Amino acid sequence: MSVEMPDRRTVQVDKGDARCPGAPTTQEIIANDKVGAPRWVRSESYQFMGDGDISKNRYIDPAFAKLEFERLWTRTWQFACREEHIPQVGDYYVYDIGPYSFIVTRVAPNEIRAYYNACLHRGTKLRASGTQGCASEFRCSFHGWTWNIDGTNKRVTCDWDFPHVDRKKFSLPQAKVERVAGFVFINMDLDAPPLAEYLGPEAKAHIDAWKLEDRYIYLHVSKRFPANWKLTIEAFMEAYHVIETHPQVAVSNGDANSQYDVYGEHVDRFISTLGVLSPHLYGKHTEEDILKQFTLGDSGALGNTTRTLGQGQSARQVMADMFRGMFEKATNTDLSAVSDSELLDCFSYTVFPNTFLFPGISLPMVYRFRPDPRDHRKCIYEVMFLRPVPVDGKRPEPAEPIYLTDQQSFTEAEGMDPGFGAILDQDTNNLFMQQEGLEASAKRGITLGNYQEIRVRHFEKTIEKYIAMPPKVPERDFT
Amino acid sequence: MEKTFSRAANVSEVPPGTKKAVEIAGLSILLCHANDRLFAVSNICSHANEKLECGRVSRGWISCPAHGARFELATGRAMNPPAVKPIATYEVRVVDDWIEVAI
Repeated sequence: MSVEMPDRRTVQVDKGDARCPGAPTTQEIIANDKVGAPRWVRSESYQFMGDGDISKNRYIDPAFAKLEFERLWTRTWQFACREEHIPQVGDYYVYDIGPYSFIVTRVAPNEIRAYYNACLHRGTKLRASGTQGCASEFRCSFHGWTWNIDGTNKRVTCDWDFPHVDRKKFSLPQAKVERVAGFVFINMDLDAPPLAEYLGPEAKAHIDAWKLEDRYIYLHVSKRFPANWKLTIEAFMEAYHVIETHPQVAVSNGDANSQYDVYGEHVDRFISTLGVLSPHLYGKHTEEDILKQFTLGDSGALGNTTRTLGQGQSARQVMADMFRGMFEKATNTDLSAVSDSELLDCFSYTVFPNTFLFPGISLPMVYRFRPDPRDHRKCIYEVMFLRPVPVDGKRPEPAEPIYLTDQQSFTEAEGMDPGFGAILDQDTNNLFMQQEGLEASAKRGITLGNYQEIRVRHFEKTIEKYIAMPPKVPERDFT
Repeated sequence: MEKTFSRAANVSEVPPGTKKAVEIAGLSILLCHANDRLFAVSNICSHANEKLECGRVSRGWISCPAHGARFELATGRAMNPPAVKPIATYEVRVVDDWIEVAI
């Protein structure tokens, strides 16, 4: 194919090899920073994966959602909670995915289990969905059947009436549990590959390098999005939409020259540089404008600092220097060894199927998306902002979730940065229109850019892989 | 009717991060020292009348060890099933190193 350059020259490139003409690459921007970036930042892993349309049925057909619950959610590793949610033996956190529910609990100082959240008598949930707490036993609120923290049966009320129940076999069934970087992952498929294999060696090395186990959740906000969970996830996979959807951000975001990478089947990422002008706006703004418009997910750490540009300074460097100092002070952490890029840029990683990790400092989030089991046109979105644990080592307790109603603005969540909340509101409005538009469309599928939307294609290829598998509904034998 | 404050415990008996069950005027009351503040709430879960005193206190709530209901310490509000009704909360003050609760 041919690509026209800014000087009107036409060059021939293979499919997927074209990049934003006339703009520096993400790697070139980062290479100019004062404090250099680590290897996981300075690498690229793009792969062309075809250019055919993606069928729209997967977003609008409730039958497809049913297939996902039988084939995909029952086989994939999912982020259930942070270790900090369950620091002591007996602490538990209920993780719900569609119709499934798990009590994720610490059974020993270094052992975490995930029990199917249902009494083995007549099926009542042993703990209400979406709750957490601490237990010395799990007692059913209906008839009082009780299990020890280690999952063994403790009591069958009126056991004389149940001679056919072998209590030794009536232990709570478990899902697989693994931990990485302070995250507790579960998988219903007992034959699933280990989490490290699922992530792949390259992505696992990135995650290990971030040391996210040394962070804690300081803000946790949950809200339903008015669209299918896959549409919603895909809205966060590219910076292509920034110029139209979030024009206020584009002034300080290298959107069209962001970098996109894929790692195996289950992980992909983008790096979107901040503190630089969007290629869409070249010639229209000054470095002063960039400095003024810089958006942070955690601007609370900066206080009311005045942003001033010195002679010959770049907005990107001023923000890096300022943010390093202010953030160290605000959070009692040492960031002297952290690169400018890690401080400023947006690093967005997807762990299939539904978790986003952002290891940066200025945009330090975790996203989790879960389908609404009662409505394939809606999903539950959570954003958790992470901060480094203070250097004095005292780990603050993770924030209690704030649940917004469908009608509320993200800016109404206490502690939410107003600029960041406004961005999420803009995304919400798009998703409502996209869900309805796909249903109204005469076109069979969605069309994707080869480079900027590679994460969407990568994600949907893996969706297709799981949907092509036979159903795998979890069942255990108790006789 | 004007509230009457009664001595519940010495402050040394409820250091930060701990709780203590006391009985005042026939009521079982739980003193909780959490988030640098003292709270006094009913020690009886509104769901199935289980005692809350062995429940976990965290981030401003106490969870019932029996069935997992949680209550806000400041307001008594039931945060999740199986409880729907709140638990009673009581005004607390400290006088001469003594925790006093208004009944």
